[in-house]
Amino acid sequence: MIRVVGLRKRFGRKTVLEDVGVDIPAGGLWGLIGPGASGKTVLVKHVAGLLTPDAGRVEVEGQNISAMGEVARQKLRSRFGMLFQQNALFDSLTVAENIAFPLRRLTALDERQIAERVAERLARVGLAGFGDRTPNALSGGQRKRVGIARATVTQSEYLIFDEPTAGLDPVTSQKIFDLLRAEQISRKSTALMISSDVAGLMSVVDRVAMMLRGRLLFEGTRDEALASSDPYVKQFLRGETEGPL
Amino acid sequence: MTESLVQLEVAGKQPGRVSRGAERAVRRIGRSVVGIAQQTGGILVLLGKIVRRFFPPDIDYYELKRNLHKMGNRSLPIIALTSVFVGAIMVVQASAYVQQFSATAFVGWGAGYVILRELGPILIALMFSGRVGANNTAELGTMVVTEQIDGLRSLAIDPISYLIVPRFLGMITMLFVLTVFGNLVALCGAALFGQLTLGIEWRVFFHGITELLKPWDVYVGLIKSLVFGLIIALSSCYFGLAVRGGAPGVGRAVNASVVASAVGIFVSDYFMTFLLD
Amino acid sequence: MSVEAGVVKAGQGGQPGWAARRLAGIGAGALDNARAARLLYSIFIRTLYYSVRGRREKGAVLRACYGIGNRSLFFLTAVMGFVGMIMVFHSCTQINRITGDLHLVGATYIQLVVRDFAASVGSMMLATRVGAGIAAEIGSMVVTDQVDALRMCAAEPVDYLIVPRFKASVVMTTVLLVWAMFVMEVSGMLTAWGMFNVNPRIFWNLSMVDFRDLATGLTKCLAFGAAIPIVSGYCGLTTFGGAEGVGWATTRAVVWSCFATILLNFIISTTALYVFWA
Repeated sequence: MIRVVGLRKRFGRKTVLEDVGVDIPAGGLWGLIGPGASGKTVLVKHVAGLLTPDAGRVEVEGQNISAMGEVARQKLRSRFGMLFQQNALFDSLTVAENIAFPLRRLTALDERQIAERVAERLARVGLAGFGDRTPNALSGGQRKRVGIARATVTQSEYLIFDEPTAGLDPVTSQKIFDLLRAEQISRKSTALMISSDVAGLMSVVDRVAMMLRGRLLFEGTRDEALASSDPYVKQFLRGETEGPL
Repeated sequence: MTESLVQLEVAGKQPGRVSRGAERAVRRIGRSVVGIAQQTGGILVLLGKIVRRFFPPDIDYYELKRNLHKMGNRSLPIIALTSVFVGAIMVVQASAYVQQFSATAFVGWGAGYVILRELGPILIALMFSGRVGANNTAELGTMVVTEQIDGLRSLAIDPISYLIVPRFLGMITMLFVLTVFGNLVALCGAALFGQLTLGIEWRVFFHGITELLKPWDVYVGLIKSLVFGLIIALSSCYFGLAVRGGAPGVGRAVNASVVASAVGIFVSDYFMTFLLD
Repeated sequence: MSVEAGVVKAGQGGQPGWAARRLAGIGAGALDNARAARLLYSIFIRTLYYSVRGRREKGAVLRACYGIGNRSLFFLTAVMGFVGMIMVFHSCTQINRITGDLHLVGATYIQLVVRDFAASVGSMMLATRVGAGIAAEIGSMVVTDQVDALRMCAAEPVDYLIVPRFKASVVMTTVLLVWAMFVMEVSGMLTAWGMFNVNPRIFWNLSMVDFRDLATGLTKCLAFGAAIPIVSGYCGLTTFGGAEGVGWATTRAVVWSCFATILLNFIISTTALYVFWA
């Protein structure tokens, strides 16, 4: 379980997170929605220990990750798999090397086992045979899928997906949502997912939260969200132009 | 211009009879020769376009003022720091000989000659190219990548007279002014360090400069700084406008512009050293 | 923090005055500089630590060596060739004006090249070329989140990105600067021969180069080779904000690497002066 308490973060003079607190239960898919620049990515980067808050803390299974040094954080981070908004594939490595990278750094598998795992992942995201290409030779959707393969290859307990379907067509998007959901259920992992594709996201989440201007506006189960009377949540979930947003 | 390069690459892909390695080497040399010729041509075309904006003068004076301030003001501290140390290093290098021949009277002359004619203009130009030229390339490159230049065109604003001419004039003027300032600081640094390590009086040091150097020695350095300014301005604007391919493209362009400026500075310095003697 | 307190006190509740704002600006600048210096120092220490204790990626150092050498060899040769010609031209014309005795010009020139000029001018060129390259590479990785992706895989950025470049730079800078010495000596010799009729055999006089000159020159090569990747790596890792940020990082890398080599040159030359010659 992940607990976020009173998180605050500023970049220069701009406040990006203001007093964000939430409990993310273990073993579910937790969705995070909100308009652009509302602090979603910054929040999940704090959860992964990539950023240090100005105030407040993030606890993963009771350990305060925000107070740890870099070495201790690395140990905890090895239990996370993360897909970045712009995929963050390493340009200098091939697709297969990209997916193998976390295995090489975090596990003691030998080369044969690594190759097997990589091939299995590539097949799972529908990119079998693409292992020798470089990321620059792929389309946006293919790169996204390589990113997903890299994020899930270590079979981590915690998964973070930042915009897994940005820039993809609706059919592929839905396939990816279903794939990630199946992945999360089969490993019994805890997944955090940010997405602007509200309809697709709502079809797979257990719980959902909404952020607005650096604050957490709402957090609850999927049904609670759909029934919410909060004007912001209502408008955002239905994609209406009329309303406070 | 880019078309010819593309054709060259396509033509090169057809199988040839020559051995692979030799072919590849020749192709690489050919491509870099074509590349250098292309860049030189592009820079000259850009110079032509800029010169045309002066007849009649079509200059955005507000932009010019802003650029002058930005380029001069922000570079002042780093130029001053560099110059002090350069002056001091000159004296350190000379001191072994000075002590050997006890030629204290010549330290001012030697340091002055080297700083005013060569080292001052060159080093200040290199720092200026790193600071202002590279920054200019990055700015223009970002504007190209984010389609701001096309935006200007769509508003019927001429990018050359609005963006390039003020930067061009700003860089040439400011490098000249900074060279005057930097030379002075370097001489003071040399005098100060000479006093501290070799015990040479300020008066003796500056006496060496005023007695043994001619005004021409000062002018040569300043003429050089004008030419260096021209080179930095042209190459940084050219490479900025020629950026292709997103954020990594901007990085590559900055690199290329700084390198081209450095080569241009040393090559032109070599010829000016002859011509202006 | 203390800056804000200062502004409030000086402003006496109202609008802070001109002096207070200036003071606050200077204070904030000093704080920023102190923070930057601390981070640079920490990167330096971590680089040394991981150079010894870090994980070795197969071929990473060799690749970095190739990158540095390949990128700089032609550029360095061209520039240093011209620098050699300019220096010898100046020395000979000045000597002709005073004594006209050119038979020691080669020996003195070679001593100066070995002791200082090859390393100092050459390393500024390398700072431009190599430093800008390192900052641009690492900077683009930062703005596209690749550095965060590395950290997610327990790959410490200093260990994975800076250390191979650091090792490669120490080796390649030394090799390239020794090559630069050679290029400068040859181009200077040819200038003296072609323009001033100095016989190459007289010019090529190594009698003035002794242990002290070699030690000073090599120390400089090593120090500059170590400083460039650390300063540029620092500039790359502190990149923020998209394409423009990468451009800024590259600019800072060039300026601060150049400045670092000038500062180190000053320190090493002065130390050498007191240790060897005073």
